[in-house]
Amino acid sequence: MTAIAPDRARIGFCALGALYLLLAAPPVRSWLEATMSGHMLVQIPLLAAIGFAACRLLGARHQERLLAIAGGPIPLVVMAFFASSWWMLPRALDDALAHPLVEVAKFVSLPTLVGLPLALAWRRLGIIGRGFVWTNFISMLAVLGWLYIAAPQRLCNSYLVDQQASAGWLMVKLALLLFAAWLGHLFVAGPPVGNPRAVHGP
Amino acid sequence: MSAVARSVAVTALVTVLGSGAFWWGTDGFTAFTAETARRVDILRAPRPLPAAVLEDQDGRVFNLDDYRGRLLAVEVIYTRCTTICNSLGMAFRQIRDRVPAEALGRDVALLSISFDPERDDPASLKAYGIAHGADGEHWRLARVRDAAQLRALLEAFGVVVIADRFGGFEHNAAIHLVGRDGRLVEISDLDAPLQFAAKLVETL
Amino acid sequence: MATYTYEHTPDHGAKAGVLAYLATSAAVLLLMMVFGLLMRLEQAQWISIGADRFYELMTLHGAGMVGIAAIAGASVMWHFLRQYVDLSSRIFIANLVLFLAGVVMILGSVLIGHFHGAWTFLFPLPGKSMGMWSPGAAALFMGGLLVIGVGFLLLHLDIARAIVARYGNFARALGWPQLFGHDDGKAPPPTVVASAMVTVVNVIGLVVGASILTMMLVNLYVPGFDIDPLLAKGMIYFFGHIFINATIYMAVIAVYEILPRYTQRPWKSNKVFLASWTASTLMVMFIFPHHLLMDFAFPKWMLVMGHIIGYLNTVPILVVTGYGALMIVYRSGIRWDMASKLLFLSLFGWAAGAMPAFIDGTITVNYVMHNTLWVPGHFHTYLLLGMVAMVFGFMYYLGKPDHEADDRLIDRIAFWLFTASVLGFTLSFLYSGKESVARRYAAHLPEWVPYDRIGAVFAMLVIASSLLFVGRFFSRIGLARHDYQRAPVARPATA
Repeated sequence: MTAIAPDRARIGFCALGALYLLLAAPPVRSWLEATMSGHMLVQIPLLAAIGFAACRLLGARHQERLLAIAGGPIPLVVMAFFASSWWMLPRALDDALAHPLVEVAKFVSLPTLVGLPLALAWRRLGIIGRGFVWTNFISMLAVLGWLYIAAPQRLCNSYLVDQQASAGWLMVKLALLLFAAWLGHLFVAGPPVGNPRAVHGP
Repeated sequence: MSAVARSVAVTALVTVLGSGAFWWGTDGFTAFTAETARRVDILRAPRPLPAAVLEDQDGRVFNLDDYRGRLLAVEVIYTRCTTICNSLGMAFRQIRDRVPAEALGRDVALLSISFDPERDDPASLKAYGIAHGADGEHWRLARVRDAAQLRALLEAFGVVVIADRFGGFEHNAAIHLVGRDGRLVEISDLDAPLQFAAKLVETL
Repeated sequence: MATYTYEHTPDHGAKAGVLAYLATSAAVLLLMMVFGLLMRLEQAQWISIGADRFYELMTLHGAGMVGIAAIAGASVMWHFLRQYVDLSSRIFIANLVLFLAGVVMILGSVLIGHFHGAWTFLFPLPGKSMGMWSPGAAALFMGGLLVIGVGFLLLHLDIARAIVARYGNFARALGWPQLFGHDDGKAPPPTVVASAMVTVVNVIGLVVGASILTMMLVNLYVPGFDIDPLLAKGMIYFFGHIFINATIYMAVIAVYEILPRYTQRPWKSNKVFLASWTASTLMVMFIFPHHLLMDFAFPKWMLVMGHIIGYLNTVPILVVTGYGALMIVYRSGIRWDMASKLLFLSLFGWAAGAMPAFIDGTITVNYVMHNTLWVPGHFHTYLLLGMVAMVFGFMYYLGKPDHEADDRLIDRIAFWLFTASVLGFTLSFLYSGKESVARRYAAHLPEWVPYDRIGAVFAMLVIASSLLFVGRFFSRIGLARHDYQRAPVARPATA
């Protein structure tokens, strides 16, 4: 991992801060939160992505220290799992719309408890850990999409039932797309053929 | 502390905290939606209702408080609704038919409140009442003319109304029970009117 | 033209993990064989255990056999793949631990919770037991499958990591540069090609399987979340068909690796070989509808697809492998011992087992045959005489005392007993199928009972010979860990 030049980091932080403020600006906020898909599939992932990108700008030394404090990648993945699952609860979405305090909690927790821990853990995970996170995330996304499609009643009081179904279908489609992309990357990624000798001698 | 031990310890801590948060946030893994949460909450702590002035299908003006001392079943509707309010109306009728005749009006009353006072004038309310078999006395239909009072009332009942793209509304539908002390004591699913009626008769 | 040279190197001994896999497989295999025998004895009306117990045994037999087929296949693949890529022993062991945890959950679900909705857990059966078992028992069963699936997912991700680290990506691991371009003779060895194929299809299958299991678990407790039964059936068969097919694609690695050691002729990853594996990688994912040909509710295009690809997929790997094995063995002066005989037999078993499926894959035949014992006849042939024979061959190979060692007479008798009794056993299924004996019935009509009795007798002989194979493996398990030459050197007839 190469260190990031300080001025580049500063520009990066400014860009992320601007994006964050943009998302928090009332017109953008109400525009994205007007539909369930915009809320769940644009605003929430973007907030987590800001945390992820911000972590990368911290510099290798700070990241290593945070990683050491947290006790390695696994607790961080678990933390991201809990925090991201929370904001998938229909109830949490409703609460965020109804109570400003919950909305603030959402804007704070998604970057710090989902994006940041994932970014810290990611480099340490290796292909198995990443594959495990990806495959689990993808199947959970598909299942959640189905839950939203198949729900017998309105899950969120703040959204119309057809929005719920369209958000569900989007999640299922997104899951399929992500899975295809993940599999596809196995077919193209990677350096040229390595050492042709057998790995284990007699 | 070794790296592995630390990892295990922190993972355990995060898991406990995370599960605890979910336990707390979903009322013990029972309420995943705001609607269930509302029902669980009201069962636990009956909620006082704000004062409201209503106007019924015959243009009579009355207070919600006038029903104190009686059990009151409330549904929240709008009269042009072609979907869920019809189910509500049917459910309400089934409940009414199961309340003993001598208790009806004296100890139990039914009230349909419209959240669309602009268009639901007494005439439309009356038409809706006739369509669903309401008698206009023991089962009245009413609107709240004051916008602020309506908002407070909907808030207290936990009913969220949003306009759909066809000039109508989507809203969460349920049957609400207001106790003799004027507090909201229970919210029940509209597809289980018989259970609601049975419970109502029990409390008589 | 590409050139290949065969280097004769001592065999690597098996790691403790491989032996643990094989020991688990062998023990569970024998137990599940006994359960299978009990089912046949019940149908033969020689014992009376009752329908409920029958379906419990059927559920365990199905889940257990699929599970150990995968475990045994994975041990073959892992043992040989380790020579080419750097695999993680810890993940290999973690998979076995998760597997055993899943087995305990499944046993608890069936033996204590009396779940008996068959291993295929077809929606909505697990949730609609009419009081025969509790939702908890169904959840435990599906949870057990989920735990086993997570273990295999980890194993395949590790294999993917190792293959990517060594070959760069899966396109190279499947030999696509050589397949679609100039064959420079540097395509990865058959073991790597097969492992790459199995990893791709199993990861896809497992993700789909985990999704439907989670959906059904949600539906079990919150029935309001409806599942489209057709979607559920499609997803279950997609997962189940890939998973069981992958077991033989893993086990066949034993043939690719061991037979060349007997004849000093290398197994070539040539264009035809590579093409057949790439074709099957795709086809194995699209043939599951051939299980559903009777299902008029399924979309027509899926049935047409299943019919056509079902026909096509019978051919490539099987023919290429069978032909390859004949080329390796023909006039090689191979010296036959238990290992080479079992491996050669396994190819015959695989081919013979595929034929009934080919016939059943014809829609007009399928209408009358699919729900008869014809289909168990098909999969018992290819799994028992194909897949299991490969694993037995691998076990004999690992335990061979030295390359000149002769087989005992009793082993040689057991080989022929196994061959004959498996054929008798599976033919009793196939003949019953031809006579329209329904499958998955605990109680049989009096006219069907004679076939059941013949089948039961052959099943006992299968168990007897398998017991000897397994016993021999356990008695030689200490040898399996050492590195030395195991294959006898061929004696070519002409110089």
